[in-house]
Formats: sequence, structure tokens, C-alpha cells
Amino acid sequence: MTTLRKFIKVALAGNPNVGKSVVFNNLTGSRQHVGNWPGKTVDKKEGFHRHGERELYIVDLPGTYSLTAFSAEEMIARDYIIYEKPDVVVNIVDASNLERNLYLTLQLLELGVNIVIALNKMDLVKKEDIDIDVNTLQKELGIPIIPTVAPRKEGMSNLVKAIVNTVKSSKSEYNILRYDPKIEKYIDKLEGFISFTEISKFYRPRWVAIKLLEKDDDVKRKISSMKDGKRVLDKASELEADMENEVGDPEVAIANARYDFIKKIISKVVKGKGKLTASDLLDQALLDKFLGIPIFLAILWWVLQIAFIGSAPFCDFLGDLFVYIGTALEGITGQPYIDYLLFGDYGIIQGLGAILSFVPLIMALYFVLAIFEDSGYMARAAFVMDRVMKKLGLSGRTIVPMIMGVGCNVPAVYATRIIPDENDRMIAILTNPLVMCGARLVFFSAIAAAFFGAYAGDVILSLYVLGFVLVFIVAIILRKTLFRGKPSPFVIEFPTYQRPSLKVAAVRMWDRGSLFFKKAGTVILLGLIVIGILTTTNASTFAFTDNPEMAIISAIGKFFQPIFAPLGWDWRLIVAAIFGFVAKEIVLGASAMLYGVGEEQIASKMASMYSPIDMFGYMTFIQIYIPCIVTVAAIKQETGSWKWTAFAVIYGIVLAYIVNWLVLVIGHGVFG
Amino acid sequence: MSSISKNTNVYPLVVLVSILYIVYGVLQIYNGIIVWWLTYLSLKPLQLGFSFNGVYIPNAFPEPFSGIFLIVISAVFLKATYLYYKGYEKHRGFLFMGWLLAMMMLVLNITVIVADILDVYYPLVWGGTVDEGWTLASDTWGIAPHLFIGIIALPIYWSIKDMIKELMPG
Repeated sequence: MTTLRKFIKVALAGNPNVGKSVVFNNLTGSRQHVGNWPGKTVDKKEGFHRHGERELYIVDLPGTYSLTAFSAEEMIARDYIIYEKPDVVVNIVDASNLERNLYLTLQLLELGVNIVIALNKMDLVKKEDIDIDVNTLQKELGIPIIPTVAPRKEGMSNLVKAIVNTVKSSKSEYNILRYDPKIEKYIDKLEGFISFTEISKFYRPRWVAIKLLEKDDDVKRKISSMKDGKRVLDKASELEADMENEVGDPEVAIANARYDFIKKIISKVVKGKGKLTASDLLDQALLDKFLGIPIFLAILWWVLQIAFIGSAPFCDFLGDLFVYIGTALEGITGQPYIDYLLFGDYGIIQGLGAILSFVPLIMALYFVLAIFEDSGYMARAAFVMDRVMKKLGLSGRTIVPMIMGVGCNVPAVYATRIIPDENDRMIAILTNPLVMCGARLVFFSAIAAAFFGAYAGDVILSLYVLGFVLVFIVAIILRKTLFRGKPSPFVIEFPTYQRPSLKVAAVRMWDRGSLFFKKAGTVILLGLIVIGILTTTNASTFAFTDNPEMAIISAIGKFFQPIFAPLGWDWRLIVAAIFGFVAKEIVLGASAMLYGVGEEQIASKMASMYSPIDMFGYMTFIQIYIPCIVTVAAIKQETGSWKWTAFAVIYGIVLAYIVNWLVLVIGHGVFG
Repeated sequence: MSSISKNTNVYPLVVLVSILYIVYGVLQIYNGIIVWWLTYLSLKPLQLGFSFNGVYIPNAFPEPFSGIFLIVISAVFLKATYLYYKGYEKHRGFLFMGWLLAMMMLVLNITVIVADILDVYYPLVWGGTVDEGWTLASDTWGIAPHLFIGIIALPIYWSIKDMIKELMPG
């Protein structure tokens, strides 16, 4: 039956960067409006196109790689097609990347909507000596396909004609993908079950069946509130379990089946072998199944080495400069209390200097990482690591901040910005302080040498391993409790490799590094003033004292002593740990001051008071407990929440206490 | 588009470089293990090279992770060789990556030497004194395999320069 409709609702769908916006602009010209999708910060572009007597209302849907419900863009695109029921969905397909683009096409076909494909970027395909047999492709998919070159407006009038013709001859079934019989039997059973329920009046049963077997949370939620919803969900769970036993994870099996189908189509329609570009060739190595991960780890090792070693003289120079300034200004105020507070061995100037001396390191790390980011490699690194990290409940992108944490947790927490999914990012932020940073190494190196002699290296390595193991354990727990769900699937479009711009890297380095300066001037300075006052104020008389045992800080240490008695600490170890809150490097210096010896003698002094097992326990505590004040500030800034900041601090202390206690129990149990 | 020219002459050099990387990688791992972790065995680090004024060239300083990195470079070059002899075009991707990693290590070695020199002499800025000056013999890295083999690997550039030009035009 032919329908003559004057108003045609058209939705443009496609992967990001396929030229969808160009097609939209070509069709609507100046007759367009840009707003926001209701309740979202995603742009909604709509416009009109006049074709004879017909008016086409065109909506540009957000670019998506699939129609699962993992991102706001995917939800918007899917919901629009299901609920707004456009007359035609124009699927813009990048002809130079058919395999990736047809995945979305198959999902659109499963929705049972009218589709016209705009096979865009045909000029690029020709340039690469590739021939696409459009007629065969049209026959295989059973939908109209119009070759286009959007920037040159080629194929636009044919596209409009195809849209109108599709509406005229609207049909209800297409050459939908039939899966492998092992998968199809489960889809069939569930589809049949759904067909006899109320749900089939609102949704296409086959689509719902596939989505439920794919464990689509959004569809499950929507179905659960409908009549017969519970029955359908129960049946789906039953079939999903059976399917999992037979073919493995249903979601993976269905995705693989789609790709197999696409590969078969491509083998029929794509002729001629495109030449491999330099970018393709480089990807062969960087994304290699066996060498991809070792290459990535090797590059990260190089990044850390060049940042640490390259910045070392500048860090040392700054540290010494502050000591020089502190010494030069000593006595300048004429007030012993103020003078000690400002310029003393553990005064504000030296404390600030100890922290600012890390600026070259942080800047160097940012600079080198910005270079890799700009080159296009970071996206590939995250992709390569995804298969490992996913098994541990983490997103592939988490590996970058994790490795950065070995240098310093502060830039590492900021680096979690590369993780788009909010749950994944929160897990990455909250677990990052467990990675052993360079600051803790200062204390560990001195103590391990005194207590463990020849085995010092093993002890330090064990602390590194402990940190990473705890990251994975805590990530799994957080994933199963507070941040439920799976790590978001990792779909990424690789940027083209390019020569990194030093200017861009420098700007990025400054943008990120300047945050550190702000913190040093605010949070850190305040923290140092507070600790300085507590150390130099007599607990009874509130007068100045240069004896820490008489100071408020000692009273605080003694106050907490009963809590730490099971761990065998005296008040000095408690206070040293409190000092570590400002910066972990201070633990060593603070211990030296509190035990009344120099930094060189502190290790041997402690060795005379504690057993190696006691001290290893204390080291595990320092490794795990409360992140330093700058990291806490970074966590606050990045989570935007005092609640999560407090959580990071509290769980760290509790976990550290438990691990320390376990070390003592197991250690003394085994070694006596 | 890559105008790929198969340079068959480069592979004997690639094989040589691969062998050197793997040998010095294993040496660094061995030296690292006995110096870092198994000190109680009192074993002496092994060197393979020549000594010039007390400086080993190349100096396989103890560093297991650095050794692993050298072995990774070797693996990348070996895979390039394997793919080349099997007739796969993608050998050039591995060749390019291997060369890039080799050059990164060369740059790192130079950076270490420059940073070590700066670290020793910066107190002179405020009129301080230097207890012990920098010498190549006292430098932890010195002329490490990273620099030494990196220089040997430099000519591979001529086989991949078209790829570099394609990736970084201008």
C-alpha cells in the first residue's frame, strides 16, 4: 500500500566522526535548531528539509558505536528510535570502516525500523583502491544504500529520494541477522514467550529477547515495571543461564556472532586490498596480542625513568634552595616561637620546600605523558590493557593513573580524568592511594636496610606488590558493593598518530601542574602551620617548646596509643604516622626528631626497640593508611565530595590497621 | 599512504641488534637479582664488553626492569624479522616500533648522564663546593647497553624513514 505523507520524521544515526553532522547541515541548511536533550547535557540538533510537497523533520542523534545502554548518548539514540518512532532512520556509515560501522546497522535492523544507509566517505575508499559492491551490500542487508561524499554534497538528493521512497513502501521485516543455531534457539524461545505477553504491544519481541539475553539493565528495568514483566524476566534469567552453560557469556557470544555476520558480508562486498598505512602498520605492533602489553609496560617504565631521573637534579636543587633560605632567615624574626615555627628543622619553610621540590617531577611526568597523549598512543595503551584490567573489575584506562601512582599519587588521581565512566573513575580514584608512591620509599629504604639487611630489596618489592594486590582486591569489593555493575565496555576510536606538539604538551603540563601550586599555597601550607603549632606548643602551659615530648603532638600521640597498642606502637610511631599525613617523606624525619636522633641513626635506634616483624607491620601500615594531604585534596577535587574523600581516608586507615595486625599475627605465629 | 619499500639489507643488522639486546637484557636481570635481592650469595655482577679507563662499555648495570625492557625490544625486532621472512607486510610496523623503542632507550641513557652531571654540580650555583666530581666511571648507568646498542641500531632509520615521513609530514 502506498502512503502519501507530507510530514516525515527522520533520525540520523551513526558512529562518531562518520560525517553525520555534515549530512545534517547539508539537508537542513539554515533551518536548524540546537538545544539539549531533556535532562541531559548532550546536544540535540533538529532541522527541516523541504522536498516537493513533503517536509522532512530531521533529528541528528548523538554519535554512538552501538545501541547498548552504557552511555547517555546510546540511551538517547535508542530511546528516541523506540519511543519517538521516526519514519526513517538514516544510518550514516563510514565506507572506509565498514566492519565497525555495520555493528550499529545490525542493531538498528534488530529494532525493526525503516532504515536507509548513507554510505559516506566513498572518496576515501576510492583513494585506497577499494571497491565496495553497493548492490550486493544492499541485497545482503535488504535496505536502500546511497553512496555519499558529504563534504562535497554528493549523493544528498538521492538520499532524500530514498527516504521518501522508504516511507512510501514501508515494510515491516528486513533481512535480519539470524544467529548461530546454538544462540538462535534461546532467542526464539524467549521471543516466543514475549510474543504472548503485553510487552509485545510496546516493543518488538525479538529485540527485547536479544537485549534481555545480553543482560541489558535498562531494558530489564523497563520490562520489570510492565505487566508480565516479572514472568518475562524470570524466563530470561533461566534461558540466559542455560545459554551461558552452552556458549559462554551470552553478551560476548551475541557480539561475536554479529561481527562474524559482518565479516561474511564484507568478504562478499569489499573488493581490492587497501594498502596498509603507516598508522595501520604501527598498530600491528602496538596492539599485538602478545607484545602489546609488554611494549606498553616498557613505555611506562621509560616514562617514569625519564621523568624521575630527568627531574632529579631540579628536585634536589629546589629542596636545597629551601633549606638554604630557611637557614639564611633563621633568627630574623627575633621571636623564638615564630622563628622555630617558620624556619626550624621541621618548620613551615622547609616543609613547604620538601613538597615544592616535587614540582619538577610532577611537571616532567605531565609533560612526557602529554607527549604520548598527543601522539595518539594513550588510547591504544588503554585498549591493550583493557582485557587484563576488566577481569579485575577495572576499566582499561585505569592502568595509566595506576602506574603514575608509583611516582606520585597526586598527578595519578588527576589522571583519572581520562576514565569516562563515573563508577570506573571513582574506583580508580579511591584505590590509587594504595599504590606505593616515591615519597613512601624514602622511609622504607632507610628502615628496610636497618631491619632486613640483605633482604631490604625483597621487602620493598613486597610492599610494591602488596599495594597492587590491594588495589585489585579493593576494586573488586567496591565493584560488588558501592559501585555495582561491570566495567563499562571499552569502545574507543583511535586517533590518528601524529607528531606530538611540544607547545601543546607544555600547555597541558602547565594546566595540570598549576593545580599543584594552588594546593601548595593553600591546603599544604595550612596543614604545615597546624602541625608546626602542635609540635612547638607545650601541652600543659601552651607556651613555646622545642621538646616534642612536651608538645601537644605528643599528647595526641599518647591519646591514640591505646588504639594502636595491639600493633605494639609507642606514641612516637603514632605521631610519625600523623606527620606522614602532610607528606609521607616526613615520616622518617619526624621519627628522627621524636626519638631524639639524626636521620642517619634513626633506623638503628628503631632496630634496637622493635623486631623486624613489628617494623614490617608498621611499614605496611604506612604503605596503606591515609593518603597524604595533597592526595586527599586531589581526591576531594576530583570526586567533588567530602563523603568520598572521608571514605578514602577512613577505609585506608582501617585496611592498614587490619593488614598490620595480620602481619604481626602471622609473622609472630610463623617466626615466633 | 605508505609507499613501502622493502629494504632487505637491514635484517642482518636487525638480527644482530636483537641478539645484543637479549644478551644485555639477561645480563642486567641477572646482575639486578644478585645485587638487589640475593646479596647474601655474594656473587659478582657479570660484564660483557671492554673496559676503558675503568669504564665498562657497555655497562650492564644491575637493573632487572631495564633488562626486561631490553628483552622486549629484542622480541619486537625478532617478530619483525620473522614476519619479514614469512612475507608479511606488517613486519615494517614491528621494525618501526623496535627502532622507536631503541631510540627511546638511547635518549634515556643520555638524559641520565646529563641529569647526573647536573646533580653533582648544581651546588656551585650558590657558591657551594663539590665533594667528588662526576666521572663516567662513577655514573650508575655510564655508557649502558641502551646507548651502545642504540647507536648500532641508528642505521635502521633508513628503512623506516618513509613511515616517519607519512606519520609526521613536514
